Amino acid sequence: MDFAWSEQDRVFRARVRAFLARELPRDWPQIARHGPGSPEQTAFSLEFCPRLAAAGMLTPHWPEAWGGEAGSPWRHTIIGEEMWAAGEPRGAQYMNVNWIGPTLMHFGSDEQKRRYIPPMAQGKAIWCQGFSEPEAGSDLASLRTTAVADGDDYVINGSKIWTSYAALAEHCFLLARVSGDGAGKAGIAIFLVPMTTPGIEVRPIPSLIGHGDIHEVFLTDVRVPAGQRLGDEGEGWDIISHALANERVGLPRYELSIRALGAMVAALRRSGRFDDAVVQMRAGEAASACEAARLLVYRALDAKWRGKPQGADASLARVAVVAADHAVSEFGIDFLPEGLSGLSHPDILAHHERAIVSGIAAGAAEIQLNLVARRHLDLPRGE
Amino acid sequence: MNFALDEDQALFLDALEPIATAPGTDFVTGTDWGRFDWSETLDRDLEQNGYLDVAAEPSLGCLAAVAMVYRLAQRPVTAEYGASALLRPFLPDALPRPLAICAGDGGAIRFLPQARAIVRLNPEAVHWAPLDAAAVEPVESLFAYPMGRLRADPAWQALDCDATGAATRWRLALAAELAGTLRGGLDAVLDHVRNRRQFGRPLGSFQGVQHRLATASVGIEGAHWLVMKAAQSLDPGEAALALGRCQSISAPVCYDLHQFMGAMGLTLEHPLHRWTYRARALRSAMGGAAGNLALAARLRWGGA
Repeated sequence: MDFAWSEQDRVFRARVRAFLARELPRDWPQIARHGPGSPEQTAFSLEFCPRLAAAGMLTPHWPEAWGGEAGSPWRHTIIGEEMWAAGEPRGAQYMNVNWIGPTLMHFGSDEQKRRYIPPMAQGKAIWCQGFSEPEAGSDLASLRTTAVADGDDYVINGSKIWTSYAALAEHCFLLARVSGDGAGKAGIAIFLVPMTTPGIEVRPIPSLIGHGDIHEVFLTDVRVPAGQRLGDEGEGWDIISHALANERVGLPRYELSIRALGAMVAALRRSGRFDDAVVQMRAGEAASACEAARLLVYRALDAKWRGKPQGADASLARVAVVAADHAVSEFGIDFLPEGLSGLSHPDILAHHERAIVSGIAAGAAEIQLNLVARRHLDLPRGE
Repeated sequence: MNFALDEDQALFLDALEPIATAPGTDFVTGTDWGRFDWSETLDRDLEQNGYLDVAAEPSLGCLAAVAMVYRLAQRPVTAEYGASALLRPFLPDALPRPLAICAGDGGAIRFLPQARAIVRLNPEAVHWAPLDAAAVEPVESLFAYPMGRLRADPAWQALDCDATGAATRWRLALAAELAGTLRGGLDAVLDHVRNRRQFGRPLGSFQGVQHRLATASVGIEGAHWLVMKAAQSLDPGEAALALGRCQSISAPVCYDLHQFMGAMGLTLEHPLHRWTYRARALRSAMGGAAGNLALAARLRWGGA
């Protein structure tokens, strides 16, 4: 048992930080102000990610055959922490690196791999995920968008909602129902859909979490060749379960949280307010939530990379990450309200806008509590 | 970064298990309905088999000692293993044990009726004094520990050791014992809600019960790993953070444990109080959650 980073990992983290210090422009805080889904940040990611790829910091954990170095998976964690804490200059491309690329490597046809993976490894691809629908949020398996076979094509009709990055994405990783309503999970298939396909309309939804971040996507008689289906018709749910297993621990939000907390404390110290024991205690409490979440995430990753059964480790971690995000956000609201007025460090405002979504994005935290109850605590299902 | 036990640690914890679960370590109701079980058997077995010296062994260290305390605290009986396993091996003299620790927390002191020595932790210095039965007055309390107070100030002798290091190790012992105590209580309640049927179904099948116990589990596991990490680093700030975390989650966890055990948990016929009233005793130690979390914040960021 060893909770310290190896010397190689420490050196790698220093390299990532030096890269960010060198490559992020002076006006990066303004570019990042509206979050990873904004047009400004998406445009920046298309300049930034190729440089990141050239420096060997975009996909070092990927296999060498797909542009990676087959490096330590902890490097992927280090990159994720440093990028998210810096405001995620990879924009939407973090999804390619984390799960879309690896899912295509595992389940894609040769043609799909050749077509889609190289642009991701080069840092030039923007994807969105077409999962949630107006009637299918946490209950994703109840989705209603249909894909009906028609000769060598499928014709897709339906709508998606709360879709990040949809306005600027070139492709959508889309879930649709190929069998009737009664088929449930077994009737779902995945399609890799160019967003320029006729019949796709995207409308932005104003939101609390930054402009241009979430959208509605309407699909009307969208014709997609059968070769754009990922896996077989009945495999969609298994593929998405595999893909989301990579994502269940969620983003390394604890890293931004602890840094935002540090920025809050620095502001409070400058004004003499950190000498108050109550403020210190609440700061310590928020820090303890962040560090506990960090360790639960690391434990889940450690188990996964050792090939141990996943159990509910990732679900425990995700719940802890959400609690940590909110502990920091609430500390700021209670003791540094000027942070929400943009009168303090920009990280504080950015953190608040990202914290409010942490228990909702990528599936409600309550679903993870269900999984902890059943898989970790061995509690019975309702009868 | 490696969360798996190494071979030595795994062998050590495997060997501990028969002692932790030996006859005499299960819950028994006393004829006088006492609120704690002091296990002479457990205390003796741990000492005689060298388990309390493990922190000083290079291949095992404080990490194994903390893992041991966490495991033992899950049992319904109690013995004095925290201070003896984490603090005593680093004190310059081989003090007699069981140990009682006086750290300016006020009130009655745990294990004083059994203790043969008391250690006083101050921010600047560490002292100890031998004890005999005449020096101690047992105190009846709600806490599920034997408690007592000194009849008079003993003959304190200075110990030549680092006071900050001693406080750090004591915080680790308290944190490991509190995290293990909460885990023991949670396991007892989980067993109950899996089997207790109301409204025609197990209590544990209700989502209102599941989510709160799942939340408790997230809190306990996160706190446990904070303690383990601090046991490796021996960093004073990490130890304060870990103890503060254990103490701050203790109140809501204990509330839920009693809620879901219902009236059974209010009786002395059920052991739940053994864990929840040990947790109540540990909540205020070394400044409690407020003091430890504030200390962790000051050590991390500075401040008066």
